Amino acid sequence: MTLPDRSALSRRDYLRALVAVGGASALSACLSENDDEAVDVPSGTDDPDSLPSRQHAWNEFLSRDDDGNVQLPEHHVLVALSLSTEPSDDARAQVEDALRALERAYEWSNEGLVFTIGYTPAYFDRFDGSLPDSVDLPDPEPIVGDADRFDEFDAILHLASDHPEVTLEAEQGLFGERDEFNGRGIETDLTGVFERVDERRRTGFVGAGLPANHTDLDGVPESIPDEAPSLMGFRSGFAESQAPEDRVTIAEGPFAGATTQHVSSMGLNLRQWFEQDSQHQRVQKMFSPEHAEENAVGTTGEKLTTTNGLTDERIAATEADASDRGVVGHAQKAARGREDGKPPLLRRDFSTVDDDRPGIHFLALQEGIEEFVRVRQAMEGTDLDVTNLNNGITGYIFVNRRGNYLVPPRSLRALPPTNPTETE
Amino acid sequence: MDHEIDRRTFVGWGAATGALALAGCFGEGGDENGGERNDSDGEGNETDENRDETVDVAPPFPEIEDKPDAVYVPTHRESMRALEPIVAGDYRLAPMLSYPHPFWLVTGDGEDDVQHVTPDQMRGVHMMFTLWDAETGVVLPVDSGNVVRLSRDGERVGSPQSMWPMLSQEMGFHFGDNVPLEEDGTYTVEVELPPLSARTTGDLAGRFAERETATFEFDYDQDFRETVSDVDYFDEGRWGERGALEPMAHDHVPYSRLPEVDAFPGTFLVGTDESGEIREGRPESTAELPRSGDAAFLATVLESDYRLTGGDGRSLLVSPRTPYNRVPLPNMSLDATIERDGESVTAEPVSLEQTIDGEYGLHYGASLEDVDLRAGDTVTLTIRSLPQVARHQGYDTAFLEMPPIELRVPEDSDDAE
Repeated sequence: MTLPDRSALSRRDYLRALVAVGGASALSACLSENDDEAVDVPSGTDDPDSLPSRQHAWNEFLSRDDDGNVQLPEHHVLVALSLSTEPSDDARAQVEDALRALERAYEWSNEGLVFTIGYTPAYFDRFDGSLPDSVDLPDPEPIVGDADRFDEFDAILHLASDHPEVTLEAEQGLFGERDEFNGRGIETDLTGVFERVDERRRTGFVGAGLPANHTDLDGVPESIPDEAPSLMGFRSGFAESQAPEDRVTIAEGPFAGATTQHVSSMGLNLRQWFEQDSQHQRVQKMFSPEHAEENAVGTTGEKLTTTNGLTDERIAATEADASDRGVVGHAQKAARGREDGKPPLLRRDFSTVDDDRPGIHFLALQEGIEEFVRVRQAMEGTDLDVTNLNNGITGYIFVNRRGNYLVPPRSLRALPPTNPTETE
Repeated sequence: MDHEIDRRTFVGWGAATGALALAGCFGEGGDENGGERNDSDGEGNETDENRDETVDVAPPFPEIEDKPDAVYVPTHRESMRALEPIVAGDYRLAPMLSYPHPFWLVTGDGEDDVQHVTPDQMRGVHMMFTLWDAETGVVLPVDSGNVVRLSRDGERVGSPQSMWPMLSQEMGFHFGDNVPLEEDGTYTVEVELPPLSARTTGDLAGRFAERETATFEFDYDQDFRETVSDVDYFDEGRWGERGALEPMAHDHVPYSRLPEVDAFPGTFLVGTDESGEIREGRPESTAELPRSGDAAFLATVLESDYRLTGGDGRSLLVSPRTPYNRVPLPNMSLDATIERDGESVTAEPVSLEQTIDGEYGLHYGASLEDVDLRAGDTVTLTIRSLPQVARHQGYDTAFLEMPPIELRVPEDSDDAE
């Protein structure tokens, strides 16, 4: 594994590159990078019951921006996992112990570590029974006729922290490459139960200023705003445009307290977006033509506070905007997938430069995958009378891969069976 | 590092354009980018023979003052390299390559919605392709979401992208963009073509339903650069004159020219001439058609037995085209309102649907089944959104301000058939 060239990169860039590379040498490089300003990572809890019963209960533990929106941790790793043994009580106990060790070592917060483990339909296929009707977890499919590839490994671990070295240390400690989590000895890890699927490992970042660190890459133009929090330049995750955690939680049945997770990984064309389109055109395409007309967004979305500004009228105007203006906004279109005016998805997506190419890992939580599909189809806007590159951002994103996951409640996160009430 | 290459290219470009003394050649968009590029002047003094060579052969982009709000003669005829056409299912695709050059994007319907795009860098190509139906030769001027991926020696180059739908006088309707290329070499281009999104009729009906991929290769080298940048400029006195260049003649590649007026059936709706009088008789050529924003509009009412009508009643076919070369104007949104004695004949305006026909090419159509259209009725065509298509020089100021067109059902229409 080749480490990035320290002398050629800014500190933040270098740390990001280390997360992307992964591995033990990356971690030691990361730690030595921090010698000067030793990072003090708060430790977790010895009382597992003090943590929420849902794995995806992050919001009340995460920091807020100046407008009060939940602020995702800055650094993310998606570790793709393949089972190396069949699920058994011993294997379950081992997975649970390994994950509890993370919770003991790191505070459940931006400064510490938040994480989930989710399981694919392919994982559940090994059991005789099928998932209960209360769980909507189909195999991933192409949604808009795109020729996608699919996540068919067993599970994915989503690790997120403001400190890149925490995500690295957590991942490596779980696979026997480290002896300590945040200074605490590791007794149990995941080796023997899971192995990593290296070619499916994904990394990314979200936060003001992080994308502009990557203009050294071919596909990331210099013209990206310095303060942009995402590679397409704008803020997202506005409180009023996100589903609350309750809304995305499966309420009934043996998996009550679970959620479903969709991950789409896609490439981005930022050259046309930043070097050819104007800011006015970007705002039209990302939000709505009216946002652009009223100058409602600002450079990176700073004028929007806790909402993407989509009123019922603007959402209803999507079709008319297509006909009268010849352009529609991405957010405007996708909001047509709302139910009773409420957003059904909780987005936890982040930008990426995996393989040195700009992209997005679009991670969304929802009660059932059907809701993701509905929003995604609304976003595609094939029903609208508008040309491809004026159809929101659909002409700028290129989906490579999709995966569907069940993120069980914490009590069932270790190798869940298809129907827990029958087996436990 | 890639960063270094970028910076040297910017610097090289700045130097070369300075040497050619091209006043105003970047336009509004270029000034902004040019400013950023100049920031790196101080540290980017590397000289590189090849790079200088590249920029030396890049032709200038002189700006025309006082362009009319109409189709006009550009400064020069493009020079390009045409590659062999490729078969991909029902589609035929002909790639063409030129040097990177400016164009104008149109996104929306307001003043802020036209964006002058200047090349990111001169190292690269302006990549274009014409897409047509092999059976009928009809050019397919709608963007259903093409995806272009480049590679060199098996390694991907740049991000995937969709090519802009574009109009040029010589190329007609095509897809294209400036594509930066850092290195000389042989590039492989994969073009993914999704199913055609527009309504199709006649010989095109029910076809283009499959996703297809076309692949071609080209060499990017000094020979290419010298060939495509051998450009003759017209006499400056002609720049900006109303008119258009003749379509470029390519063997095996059709030009998106719509049939002339006399090929269309039905009862033509008539417009007014320059003095406001109703034109008598059927127009005989595109030049005689009523215009809006310098686009010529052919509008004809087809009788119920005509194949395009589909339903039981009559239908309206509107064929907007460029005034000289008869290139179809796609991605518009059009409504028709029908009035008699100042009263509207229909409850709602009639909305026209973009359609491609095997004989009449791209047009906008609507059924008049529920409309009792009579001689003397006024039919007003309202352009709700103007052609959302990027423009090469000569089309950048036309088809932007498009007022409604008032037409009349001719008095002798009842016995015209």
